[in-house]
Amino acid sequence: MSQSLKPYLTAVRSSLTAAICLEDFSSQLVERHNRPEIEVDNSHNPELILNPMVIARNENEKVLIEPSINSVRVSIKIKQADEIEQILVHQFARFLTSRAENFFILRRVPIKGYDISFLVTNFHTEQMLKDKLVDFIIEFMEEVDKEISEMKLFLNARARVIAEAYLTPFD
Amino acid sequence: MLQIESSNLLLEKTIRECLSTEIESLKGIQRTFTDFDFTTYQVSNSTAKHLVVVSIYVKCWSDLVNYGVEEYLEAKYAKFNKVLQKIETEAGYDFSFVLDLSVAQKEDVEFKEELVSELANLKRNSIAAPFEKAFSRYDELAETYANSNVYSEEVKQELENESILTINYRGLDESIYIKPSFDRVTVIFSTIFKDETDKIFGRVFLQEFVDARRRTVQTAPQVLYSHIEPPLDIRNVIQGRADDNKGYVTFVLFPRHLVKGDRRQNCISHIQFFRNYFHYHIKCAKAYMHSRMRFRVKEFLKVLNRAKPENVDDEGKLIENRKTASGRRFEVGRG
Amino acid sequence: MASMGTPAVVMDNGTGLTKLGFAGNDSPSFIFPTAIATSTLGGKSTKSSASNSSSFLASKRGLEDLDFFIGDEALSAANGSNYSLSYPVKHGQIENWDHMERFWENSIFKYLRCEPEDHYFLMTEPPLNPPENRESTAEIMFESFNCAGLYIAVQAVLALAASWTSSKANRTLTGTVIDSGDGVTHVIPVAEGYVIGGAIKNIPLAGRDITLFIQSILRDRGEVDTTLQTAEKIKQQFCYVCPDIVKEFKKFDQYPEEKFAQYIVEYTDKNKTNTVDVGYERFLAPEIFFNPEIASSDYLTPLPTVVDQVIQASPIDVRKNLYKNIVLSGGSTMFTSFGKRLQRDLKGLVDERIQLSERLTGNKSSGVKVEVISHKKQRNAVWFGGSLLAQTPEFKSYCYTKQDYDEYGPSIVRNFSLFSVPS
Repeated sequence: MSQSLKPYLTAVRSSLTAAICLEDFSSQLVERHNRPEIEVDNSHNPELILNPMVIARNENEKVLIEPSINSVRVSIKIKQADEIEQILVHQFARFLTSRAENFFILRRVPIKGYDISFLVTNFHTEQMLKDKLVDFIIEFMEEVDKEISEMKLFLNARARVIAEAYLTPFD
Repeated sequence: MLQIESSNLLLEKTIRECLSTEIESLKGIQRTFTDFDFTTYQVSNSTAKHLVVVSIYVKCWSDLVNYGVEEYLEAKYAKFNKVLQKIETEAGYDFSFVLDLSVAQKEDVEFKEELVSELANLKRNSIAAPFEKAFSRYDELAETYANSNVYSEEVKQELENESILTINYRGLDESIYIKPSFDRVTVIFSTIFKDETDKIFGRVFLQEFVDARRRTVQTAPQVLYSHIEPPLDIRNVIQGRADDNKGYVTFVLFPRHLVKGDRRQNCISHIQFFRNYFHYHIKCAKAYMHSRMRFRVKEFLKVLNRAKPENVDDEGKLIENRKTASGRRFEVGRG
Repeated sequence: MASMGTPAVVMDNGTGLTKLGFAGNDSPSFIFPTAIATSTLGGKSTKSSASNSSSFLASKRGLEDLDFFIGDEALSAANGSNYSLSYPVKHGQIENWDHMERFWENSIFKYLRCEPEDHYFLMTEPPLNPPENRESTAEIMFESFNCAGLYIAVQAVLALAASWTSSKANRTLTGTVIDSGDGVTHVIPVAEGYVIGGAIKNIPLAGRDITLFIQSILRDRGEVDTTLQTAEKIKQQFCYVCPDIVKEFKKFDQYPEEKFAQYIVEYTDKNKTNTVDVGYERFLAPEIFFNPEIASSDYLTPLPTVVDQVIQASPIDVRKNLYKNIVLSGGSTMFTSFGKRLQRDLKGLVDERIQLSERLTGNKSSGVKVEVISHKKQRNAVWFGGSLLAQTPEFKSYCYTKQDYDEYGPSIVRNFSLFSVPS
């Protein structure tokens, strides 16, 4: 693990733990409705939205946390050093979002500028353990980086073997 | 499966069945099937039970005709002329053979096996025609210039003007160009990627093709890759539009690859399936990625499910392996 | 033909057998078991799916994922110790997507030899397949293989379409499909191209049970060869459905020369042959569909009764049409007179009910027409129906293309428009 990763994840962990502090809150605009306030236009009641924050390890790796009274949106930008990593991240994110219903907190569409978004509402925190949710997001961030670099390694290794296997029989 | 075979499995199977079934019990055959690069075969015995007609359609046939494919095929299959004759081409196809089972079935096993395998290679043999032509041109050139100063300007110029054989084997966008010279034959594939992922994966693969010779397989043909810009050799004969997704892969075959006999034949079989091999492996890599991602999703879900209290016992500890009274574990969602 | 462009690929992956081929042909090019043999080299255990996946994560540099065989080659490869065999389709549904993806990979590139970018594909699915499975199929076909276009059809509907070749058939997409393969027999009502999911019934008796039944009779008689292969061959060559068992027994006693037969077993060793007598099992074996109690002790409802129950469970306005168009599909419906017997027995049940209602109400019924349709393409009816559909010029317009998929994502395949009935 590189030097800056640990503090980065620690910062995300404590910010998340602080941000996921949600309560049941009925909509002030639509009667008898309860909606994740972070997802709706809240220009008339700005008091429901808390200050968003960005935790960045560098330009390419950052986390955006947007808390509100009853929901938190967490968006992750995954490291993409080159074209290959870009396409791998894109594929992986697509693969995950198409299985979003299994992941409860996964948003089907990421926030612009990020690769993957989670939406945690008070209903989630009522049914699930908050610490474990935070654990999940942290582990997700760790594993995704690992997975992407492993896939890239695989691709290069595979390409090498395939090229050699094609060129050898000529002789 | 690592390599793409040059023979067509289904054609092989069909012909073999025909040869081993009694003519009386043979049913009407009417089969249409395909091979790579828009090749279509038809096998039928509509006129008489013992006369099996094998027809082939190849997209680039008009190009192949320029390079003498019909003569080449006739010569190639001449050794079977007791049982196999060229006939008038069936409508919609480019070349037809008729196989007389009543004679062929009486032949010995060895003959039959050879017949089966040569017929199954019909597409390979069709595409082989221009390669054979280019390679024999190389033989000529090698002889002509054996004792001359090949670095002189005139010779260079002459070689420069050597005509290029073009096979638009997948339409105008994807072609094979072959240029013979006195000490080498250059084979250039133009290739196009329809899919963004393929394009990027493809580049990774091609880079390795280029590097492979330098690193491990020193005796292999030299491979060059250029993106968008066609190589100098073929700049004048390029048809089709310039495209961002287009790339050119150059194979330089050296005399050691062109030794007459098995090696030359092997080289022809191998190089003409380059595109199929290449795209097949891009797809396999993607399939493998899918497996990895499926595995990763499963792992992520395991982590997320730990957050659900029903998986936790009264003291808040995780129950990972719930067991029945007899000590068996619940295995949920196993495939 | 060739100038019309590349033919569509038709793939029918059943629980037992996979049928592969190109549209426009009247039989599949390849029929082999839906089995895959994967490499177990490297000492990694493949007992559970989790350790399997992690083992090939560990060996990422190798080519393990290309080292496998499918179909008949898989069966022979699995005889050695280096490969383990698995069947990715269970009860009609795909269970192991990793294996299925590689199965398709090999089907396309090795067997069919086509570049998926150049072809449209018609795949089949069982009735009541969850839409997620469709999406996964589309994900593989479009993302891994870049296939040009895809249509996923329900097997029962294709079986209905296949029956249009019969002269008796009326070209509709309403009817009852009896699909009997090796493992299970399904009775599936279809109304205007849509499966009536709630009314489907399964019968746990099919081809394998018939074979086992024959084997047990051979054993009881003490024949020289009682292997499954022999029983299978006897089933295929000698069995038929009789109108009445008692009369059939009498016929056997009266004309033994005509009725009793002999099957000569050939072995790989050419010099050795055995002769097996074939007797009452000729008509008794297929009889288990109509009198299950002769072979099974826990399943006792005869097939005609099940068909009747299925149709009665369907909406009342389609019942008449369901009785009128009962279509057979699958190898175990191929016995001579199977259709005739089913039609007679079912007609009996229906008439009985009509008489009862006439007696109770005093109203005269207009009657219900019961018709069972047998046709020549029964064995691979699903594949053949797919081939018929995929060769029509309109087929491509029913498919989703790679462009559609890239634009809308996998959920696009949740709905396919039904193909219209070609006149």
